[in-house]
Amino acid sequence: MNIKHNHQDDASTMNSVPSLVGPSDAPTMAGDGADSRWVIARRSFLQATGFTLAGTSLATLGLLSGCAPAPVRRALPGIAGVPEQTPGIAQWYATVCGGCPAGCGALAKVRDGRPIKLEGLPGHPLSRGGLCAIGQAHLLELYDGHRLQDPQLAQKTVTWATLDSRITSELAGLRTGSGAVRILASGLTSPTLRATITRFLAGFTDGKLVEYDPVSVSAIRAAHQTTHGAPLLPTYRFERAQVVASFDADFLGTWLSPVAFTAGWKQRRRLEAASPQSSQIVQIESRMSLTGSKADSRIVVHPNEIPVVLGRLTHFVSRLAGALPTGLPSVSHALDAQWRELAGLLWKHRGESLVVCGNNDLASQLAVNALNQMLANYGASVDIAQPCLAYNGSDAALLTLTQELERGDIAALILVDANPVYELPAIAPWKSLLAQVPLTISFAPYADETASLCRVVAPDHHPLEGWGDAEVQVGLIAIRQPAINPLYRTRSVLSSLQAWMGTPADDQATIRQYWTAHVQPYAAPLQNADTFWHSALATGFVKASATAPTPGSFFWPSMAGLGSKVSTELTLVCVPSNAVGSGKHALNPWLQELPDPLTKVTWDNVLTLSPAAAAAQGIQDGDVVRIDGAGDPITLPALIQRGQHDEVVTVSLGYGRAGTERFSAVGPRWIERREWQDGAVGRNVATAIAAIDGRLQYSRNGIRITRTGAKHPLAKTQQQDQLETPRPWLPAGSAMRNHVQSTTLAQLPAFAEHLHGEHHPEGDMWPPDHANAEPQWGMVIDLSACTGCSGCVMACQAENNIPVVGKDEVMRGREMHWLRIDRYYSGEGEATQVAHQPMLCAQCGNAPCETVCPVLATVHSEDGLNQQVYNRCVGTRYCANNCPYKVRRFNWFDYPHQDPIENLVLNPDVTIRTRGVMEKCTFCVQRIAEARIRAKVEGRPLADGDIQPACQQSCPAQAITFGNLADPQSAVSRAREAQRGYQVLAELNIKPSITYQAIVRHPIGEAGGQHG
Amino acid sequence: MANTESVLRLSLLGQPKSPTQVTEDIAGLLEKPIGIGWWVAFIPAVALLILGITTVSYQISTGIGTWGLNKTIGWAFDITNFVFWVGIGHAGTLISAILFLFRQRWRTSVARAAEAMTIFAVMCAGIFPIIHMGRPWRFFWMIPYPNERGSLWVNFRSPLMWDFFAISTYFLISLLFWYVGLIPDLATLRDRAKPGLRKKVLTFFSLGWDGSHRTWHRYEMVYMLLAGLATPLVLSVHTIVSLDFAAGIVPGWHTTLFPPYFVAGAILSGMAMVLCLMLVLRKVLHLEDYLTLRHFDPMTKVIIAVSCMVGLAYGTEFFTALYSSSQYEQFIFMDRATGTLAWGYWIMVACNVVIPQLFWFPQVRSNLGAIFAICVLINVGMWFERFIIIVSSLQHDFLPSSWSSYTPTSVELATFAGSFGLFFTCFLLFIRFLPVISIGELKTVLTYGRSSGQEGSTHAE
Repeated sequence: MNIKHNHQDDASTMNSVPSLVGPSDAPTMAGDGADSRWVIARRSFLQATGFTLAGTSLATLGLLSGCAPAPVRRALPGIAGVPEQTPGIAQWYATVCGGCPAGCGALAKVRDGRPIKLEGLPGHPLSRGGLCAIGQAHLLELYDGHRLQDPQLAQKTVTWATLDSRITSELAGLRTGSGAVRILASGLTSPTLRATITRFLAGFTDGKLVEYDPVSVSAIRAAHQTTHGAPLLPTYRFERAQVVASFDADFLGTWLSPVAFTAGWKQRRRLEAASPQSSQIVQIESRMSLTGSKADSRIVVHPNEIPVVLGRLTHFVSRLAGALPTGLPSVSHALDAQWRELAGLLWKHRGESLVVCGNNDLASQLAVNALNQMLANYGASVDIAQPCLAYNGSDAALLTLTQELERGDIAALILVDANPVYELPAIAPWKSLLAQVPLTISFAPYADETASLCRVVAPDHHPLEGWGDAEVQVGLIAIRQPAINPLYRTRSVLSSLQAWMGTPADDQATIRQYWTAHVQPYAAPLQNADTFWHSALATGFVKASATAPTPGSFFWPSMAGLGSKVSTELTLVCVPSNAVGSGKHALNPWLQELPDPLTKVTWDNVLTLSPAAAAAQGIQDGDVVRIDGAGDPITLPALIQRGQHDEVVTVSLGYGRAGTERFSAVGPRWIERREWQDGAVGRNVATAIAAIDGRLQYSRNGIRITRTGAKHPLAKTQQQDQLETPRPWLPAGSAMRNHVQSTTLAQLPAFAEHLHGEHHPEGDMWPPDHANAEPQWGMVIDLSACTGCSGCVMACQAENNIPVVGKDEVMRGREMHWLRIDRYYSGEGEATQVAHQPMLCAQCGNAPCETVCPVLATVHSEDGLNQQVYNRCVGTRYCANNCPYKVRRFNWFDYPHQDPIENLVLNPDVTIRTRGVMEKCTFCVQRIAEARIRAKVEGRPLADGDIQPACQQSCPAQAITFGNLADPQSAVSRAREAQRGYQVLAELNIKPSITYQAIVRHPIGEAGGQHG
Repeated sequence: MANTESVLRLSLLGQPKSPTQVTEDIAGLLEKPIGIGWWVAFIPAVALLILGITTVSYQISTGIGTWGLNKTIGWAFDITNFVFWVGIGHAGTLISAILFLFRQRWRTSVARAAEAMTIFAVMCAGIFPIIHMGRPWRFFWMIPYPNERGSLWVNFRSPLMWDFFAISTYFLISLLFWYVGLIPDLATLRDRAKPGLRKKVLTFFSLGWDGSHRTWHRYEMVYMLLAGLATPLVLSVHTIVSLDFAAGIVPGWHTTLFPPYFVAGAILSGMAMVLCLMLVLRKVLHLEDYLTLRHFDPMTKVIIAVSCMVGLAYGTEFFTALYSSSQYEQFIFMDRATGTLAWGYWIMVACNVVIPQLFWFPQVRSNLGAIFAICVLINVGMWFERFIIIVSSLQHDFLPSSWSSYTPTSVELATFAGSFGLFFTCFLLFIRFLPVISIGELKTVLTYGRSSGQEGSTHAE
């Protein structure tokens, strides 16, 4: 089988395409990949001469040659190379993130033919340059040697030709007969693929596409079907919302499109303006979510109470609006002051408020629609002219499919990115159902829970290997181009469907054809087709003028479903994990070792419960607890979580994936190494997701939890949860450490005065150690903007080749992340407040680490960096002891870099550190050097913004500013001088180069604060 | 022994001895077949040494990760053991050099063994800074040697650098001092030895000693000069070791009190260790006539003095923390006394400050069993002192997010045991092959003590 490599496009044409993204911080976006002809020629040369070299780069090429399916054409090296590619210089390709259906814009950094980093695409209308941890980490899955490398027929490896002939003949039988063919898809965003699926299914008498989402939002679509006559999922525009009432919608964490929502949310918080302004987020939730941790006000309610409190809010808003939706339950005024207050606030900001709800309950969503309608948010913060096209799942369709399967009506079931056996195990007896379908085909890249039950597995490419497109919002269509030749003998879904329709076609041709017919007419009808295509490739997305059909008038639904009584029994709530989502990325060790932003647990999912509930049951952190009454019993370790409802226990989805067993081998082996993973990493709690009244429900009432008596130690990266330290024997007060400063919007001026009055820097006895002729690099981190999402942690891990050390090492306090996010709680119960504080090397001017190193392995550079010289380090660890921020990381062992495929992800600009040396954040010195060289080549001085460290680049909230502190006009200097700025541990006179900006909340009920 | 009698009137020996008897007693120990007791001690010591060598080899080949350290706690057992052993060494130099200069004649019987202890303890100590490195095979980078790497030099601002100089100087001077003191005795042994290898070796090392007045004169001059050279080292070495901590900014480390505090602590632990060893030697080698209460009594009094100094330092630390108004300092001391390592803190206070006060009682000072027990406890307490200073300060420093805890691994425990193996192996070889008491010097104090002046006046050289 010969898959034509995709880089057939004419490279010279591509070069003529002007870069449409900023000239300096980016990257030439040549539209096409490396010219693989050149690469192949060189590989062939190596093969032909039998030249086996030990050098990394050559070994890399050799490896690629082992996997590349391309034929050998010439056996001579391309000495001149190609104009487009210079060895050692990265190329950047605009693409669309394949991590989840949110469809953020991404840039793939390709070095010497291999993608080594994914970053946010600057200027993307949704993600605005940000990219979340999952989006960045899914790069690593490209190099996963455990992906399926060949198609499988009845669990046996076959060639595509064999597979195609078998499937074609079986499908031919179905085309002539009357068997029902179903495609079950999840996260389908590609319009070309959708069109192809439609064409494919049209060949059958009974062919249907069924879509589902593991975390379903189909109630929102159903509610809009009722109120607007169309199953819309609006695009929520948080940048247009001054007041947000969010009912269990973790929009900054995991809900729908968190990167876009975070960017919008941040845009509304203009704290540096002359008159600081900030939106107000009121989070009404049962557990502590990431959004709750950033909320300006937080109200803890039981999940069962959400419809009831929505009813009360609707009641108060409707009284203000003068329109009373029918069926509203009666409200006792005395008890509901806070809802009246919230209603008043929303009403005051009608037209720029927003009500969102994250549950899958139709009545709640109808109330949300009514509220947004009364508050005139439709057309403003709730955009239905350009609604969201992702998350098309329909619970009803899925349940219908399960019934059809149960009746044995289905002749062929094709699964596209669908893993219902893992994701929704309790809604149907999948194993027996799949067994009785004559033809089951999965496109899964792994032999996952579902694929292993399918007769045919036709492994799909990794998103970076193939062509694709995505339309996640009406009028915004993005293109995905391959960044590397497929590593294995995989094939895209598009190609497979085309082949099985008897019209095999190149993916690029299929997509281009679709774009010419369906995209260009709406985007650039007058442009030359080639020009349009190439400019679309270069920018990664196009905006089309298309809008959704304008819905008719608002149909006022009855509110009768909301109910007025609340039964607050012990309830289990399943939420997607902040680290691995709903499980699609659980096979990614980067994500497994990413500390959950709130619990700080790695390598496990836990059951969280409130301190009071834990005390009542005598449960402590790490006690294994059995959950009964929510499907099959689940056993999970418990973790006490502040700010949670006392009658709610929360569990994270996404763990317990088949295939994660292998992670028990991650980490160094030595005599006291402990093996913690008994089987898969974590437990699958999706068994608790049930279809109730035709809808997937993620909370289960009336459960019981019991301690099993067993202990399951948890690998937490942070042991101390608060800044308040115990102070026995001493008078009360001053027990709070001041590393995190926070205030409210109204108190900001006074606070700022106090903050700057606090420290009087004393004059130095010594002249400055280091001449300031060079730029002095510095950073400002806005704690108010930081949501703790951990995108920066992942960016740093990918950029700086940070090893994964495994659960045992994390438990021993030896995780290697150069950038961590400290999370501190204050207050209890509903008053719990959370601070997220990214902590990385502050490149101190008077660095305590530098004075103590006996061998000068850590020294100060002229441009203000605290440099770590790996090959001089002898590993005394004195520097780490003396680092007040504890950001230095020691190589306790030789961390394995033995997987030759996985090593392809390493950034060649950053050294792999050996055992026994210290390492730490460098402010991405390789990027500084690159920008400096580029400026020099271009004969210009470095401009502000030329350099973006990896953490800054991907931050969805743009919480990080980097630049030259010696230039008073630079963005970082201005941010450093801003009123909220302070330096952690400034009193030690270590002169950190990182300034933090205090957290500002704008709670409801607070007087003052200039509203926008 | 009448209470009214001045201590200066007491003889330094249990029984009056003639110079010949002294030579017979001390040198004779080395010429008899060794008793089973020595083997009973030597075999476990060597076993521990082998255990230590094995674990250190494993650690060096596998990584420092085999220790219980983490991102917050970069030093624990390694540097604790280092300071512990350096501290033990101090009493040897104190006794042999400072007390020599102060003409404390009672030191004669204990000086040799104490100094041997110093050398072996410093050897044990010196191992830890090397094996605690991530890349111990690069330890020579700590030496400021001319190199081909341009101007690459060491960091003279780093206390670890100073440490390197301090420890190596201390070891060299101590070794030299000890060896010079040994020369007359080596000559005595040479003269008694039968022809053979032993005699050849002794001949070589006794450097042609001829026992003439001129030789004695020069010997004594050199010995005194070396004593003068070694004296400041007693203070400087532990001062510099303490600067490893004091020069850091870690709360609980960053204090100017450390140099005197550490020196006092070192003398406390060293004296305790000397007493332990001497009490055992006295019993095992039947040196009851040479090691008497007249020796142990002043040493226990030194212990009272330094124990009080250490106690004062403990108190001063708390006062400084309270007075500093630094919440980090205040927290760390409260945390030491009440936090997760409080048990270790109170072991330290009890063993180093409270229990040694028993030496105020003459009954305790004259009870050898009690002295031994107290001295063992002091050594335990002094080990904990270093452990508490290092670990409790590191584990709970500035940012609560990084707070951590420490548990030693089996590798660390075995390495610590191995250092005892090295120490006792060396010490046992020392008592087997070299005179444990300076024969030549002892002969000068045979008549010490004015109450027995008549006998004393009989001495004739």
